[in-house]
Amino acid sequence: MAVINPLLPQVAKIVDIKQETPNIKTYRVVSPDGGKPFEHIPGQCAMISVPPVGEALFSITSSPTQQEYMEFSIVKTGSVTDFLHEIEPEFEIGIRGPYGNGFPIDMFKGKDILFIGGGIGLAPLRSLINYCLDTRDDFGKIDIVYGARTPDDMIQKEEIFKVWPKAPNTEVHLTVDNEWEGWEGRVGFVPQCVEEICFAPDNRIAVTCGPPIMIKFVLQGLEKLGFTPEQIITTLELRMKCGVGKCGRCNIGDKYVCKDGPVFTYAELLNLPPEY
Amino acid sequence: MKQLNDTIKQVAAQSLSRGDVDLVIGWQKGDLWWQSYPAFVENEQDTASLTWDPFCVANLSRYLLEEQEGKNKVAIFVKGCDALGLNQLLQDKRVDREKVYLYGIPCDGLVDHRKLEAEGFKWLSEVRKEGKELVLVGRNGEQKVNARDYMYDKCLTCRYPNPVAYDQMLGEAVEAQPEERFASVKELEEMSADERFTYWANQFSRCIRCFACRNVCPACSCRECIFDIPEPRWLGKAKELSEDQFYHIIRAYHVAGRCVDCGECTRVCPVDLPLQELNRKFIKDINELYGEYDAGVDPETEAPLVTYNTNDPAAFPES
Amino acid sequence: MKKISKDKLPQLWDRLAQQATLYLPVEEDGVVNFAPWKEGAAVNLDVINTVVPPKQMVLPQSENYLHFRVDGGKLDLEPVDVDGPYVIFGARPCDVAAIAIIDKLFLDEPCDTLYKERREKGTIISLGCNEPEETCFCTAFELEPAFSPDADVSAWDMGEYLLWKAQGEKGEALTKKMEDLLEDAGADAEKAVESLRNNVASKEAAATKEYGWNAQGVKDALEDKFDSEIWDKLYRRCLGCGVCTYICPTCHCFDVQDFSRGQEGLRFRCWDSCMFGDFTLMAHGENPRPTQKERVRQRFMHKLLYYPSNFDVYACVGCGRCVRKCPVSIDITQVIKEVGGVK
Repeated sequence: MAVINPLLPQVAKIVDIKQETPNIKTYRVVSPDGGKPFEHIPGQCAMISVPPVGEALFSITSSPTQQEYMEFSIVKTGSVTDFLHEIEPEFEIGIRGPYGNGFPIDMFKGKDILFIGGGIGLAPLRSLINYCLDTRDDFGKIDIVYGARTPDDMIQKEEIFKVWPKAPNTEVHLTVDNEWEGWEGRVGFVPQCVEEICFAPDNRIAVTCGPPIMIKFVLQGLEKLGFTPEQIITTLELRMKCGVGKCGRCNIGDKYVCKDGPVFTYAELLNLPPEY
Repeated sequence: MKQLNDTIKQVAAQSLSRGDVDLVIGWQKGDLWWQSYPAFVENEQDTASLTWDPFCVANLSRYLLEEQEGKNKVAIFVKGCDALGLNQLLQDKRVDREKVYLYGIPCDGLVDHRKLEAEGFKWLSEVRKEGKELVLVGRNGEQKVNARDYMYDKCLTCRYPNPVAYDQMLGEAVEAQPEERFASVKELEEMSADERFTYWANQFSRCIRCFACRNVCPACSCRECIFDIPEPRWLGKAKELSEDQFYHIIRAYHVAGRCVDCGECTRVCPVDLPLQELNRKFIKDINELYGEYDAGVDPETEAPLVTYNTNDPAAFPES
Repeated sequence: MKKISKDKLPQLWDRLAQQATLYLPVEEDGVVNFAPWKEGAAVNLDVINTVVPPKQMVLPQSENYLHFRVDGGKLDLEPVDVDGPYVIFGARPCDVAAIAIIDKLFLDEPCDTLYKERREKGTIISLGCNEPEETCFCTAFELEPAFSPDADVSAWDMGEYLLWKAQGEKGEALTKKMEDLLEDAGADAEKAVESLRNNVASKEAAATKEYGWNAQGVKDALEDKFDSEIWDKLYRRCLGCGVCTYICPTCHCFDVQDFSRGQEGLRFRCWDSCMFGDFTLMAHGENPRPTQKERVRQRFMHKLLYYPSNFDVYACVGCGRCVRKCPVSIDITQVIKEVGGVK
């Protein structure tokens, strides 16, 4: 269905729901005739509607190279997500998008990439990680630092434990905040982990997403390691309603996070008012 | 009035310089002759900007909800109506009396600049009260008018012009000369139910749901207002008559028995909804059902709607 | 230039109302707002500003745009048709300029087609002001109180009659339809209008100057004022209501909500206010603008810095409604005065 009004959703169907953690599920969404509802680039988002509860914006966690479906990892935290967590596969939803600027992929080509994610923050990063792995030769070494409160709170367990560590020239560094029974891996907060592994900034781009407090310390840590603000990329989250920069809600200074973002370099953020 | 103008500056300066209070809440002038708005003064030198004139109508008591945090003591000027609002906040346990120092100002009515403008009095430079008259200073010189003709409707029915709560009274007590405050309520009561419905539907359809009435009301001090709760969303956001009615009627019920009749709701409404009329209907009914009760006169009295009395009228038949 | 005597206006309005919904300033219970024309309506063309600006015709307070039906796990979606053509009669130049200002955002890529369709269905007949209000300061933003370049038809109140000038295609088309009700205005009309325009503009500019409401250089001055004390001074008395945003002709922030009865319902967009505490509140409880200070700052920065950064025009037309209606007298003139003017 050709969407004329950017606020109008199209119908889509949820075909699979995976329980990642006690409060996070990953939804696989297809168009009613099969295939993806629309194309996107990594880092973009979509508005998912469950009338009459409402609409909310979620980052698309699947890579654009995945042709069969589109995936979203959603935390149960408000009225729309509460409802989403109750439904079963085959349920129809409204969807519209893609929104946002996505990651500046050309900037990554030929470079080493350091992904730093915390908790649900892995979701937007994953679309870029899988995109890079599917177009492997375009990029250098890939390091994925990922942490959560506990091992149970980690999402995409299949990928982080099995698939990604086996990918060519790719290393996964997992960490949990505190000691946990049965966990024999690294213990410590994500920013600590980054500093300890001591990544060199040469020919490298760092991309980070996670809770604001984690991002704050990650940025500090990366600066200490010698990364310039232009080498650090993050994706922001704010309350959003229209997704197209009209409703006036998600602005930081003169930029609308839904339209001019949600992906920003740290250098760009430094030019904006400190309001996020 | 000029004397009071000087007095408030003096007492404010003194209380700040002596360290008795951390903050003085009063009024100050804006650019236009009718702008006298709430001022927050923390330094002695800034007290010179405080003013007392015929336009100091804003009720300051509600600011204590925010301003008493992290402070030892806050001084606030209260007129008769403001003191009632303050007492209601005390009764609702939202303000700590120990943290407040009240300068009471007896007030025999303030001027509604819109009434002056309606008669063509515009582009003035000053308006002063002299006795029962207003001196209007404009481009063509001075003119005197009868003050009462240009007062807010709420001032004309005021029964508590002298603050009932104060630590220090500034100025001479004034005599209350209230007009009948239930006059328009009685007119409404004479209408049939259909006529009344049509009347209020017409009024409420003008509502733009700005919530100024709620935000200015001393009885509306809930930490989280029911109309702000996102889930379940009690009040939809659609501009529908049913939603407009729902908001106003429920709010009137929520403040019933606690409304001090200060009239701020009607003053702040941008589309002139007769909200005081609605709230007064509730006051009249409460007076008839539970005996005469004026909210805000004494924070220690038992309010009728939160007190059970075996003599309370029973709505249901005895059997 | 055409003219129409005032006693012929009801005929004109009847005619306009036959082909479109006609909105004009109508007085009810002492309040003048734009309302649909009906015979005998108490039209008031003397009041300078209606309480609610005519932006409500291009961006209604609530606007249904999607009909949905939920049945088991099945979802049906159907867009709602936009209402038919309308005419706004008697819009003041400031209010028309305001619509042109918000056009820039809504018609910008990606185009808000809902807004565009509604906007294009409207024809605007502006009525120049003969007198400024004390609270007017449109000249501070280089607008004229007695002339609206963006209107489809410009009209002026000359006492016994109105002067009428078509501007652009829509205006010409409308004028043709009303031909028989309009007379030729004669040779002196243009001069009379020019004279009126100059008089009113200079009167307003003089008053504005006296108060010090000078918007020159405000945008640049605000670039480094994010942490300024101005906001500390202004926000404290703010009640956090939505009066300023809702009666402002350039404010346009909206919310999207669903309304349902059983299995069917409507999605609508509706006015929202950045002054409300939950405007930027996120589902998990965080709020980048947690106190009224951040919200008051946002409103003025948006109008005087962010919007001009994006669209080269201030999002304020000096209509003065915020000055008149704010219950505690916080208004944009105070910000302009503090930072504006060539220093």
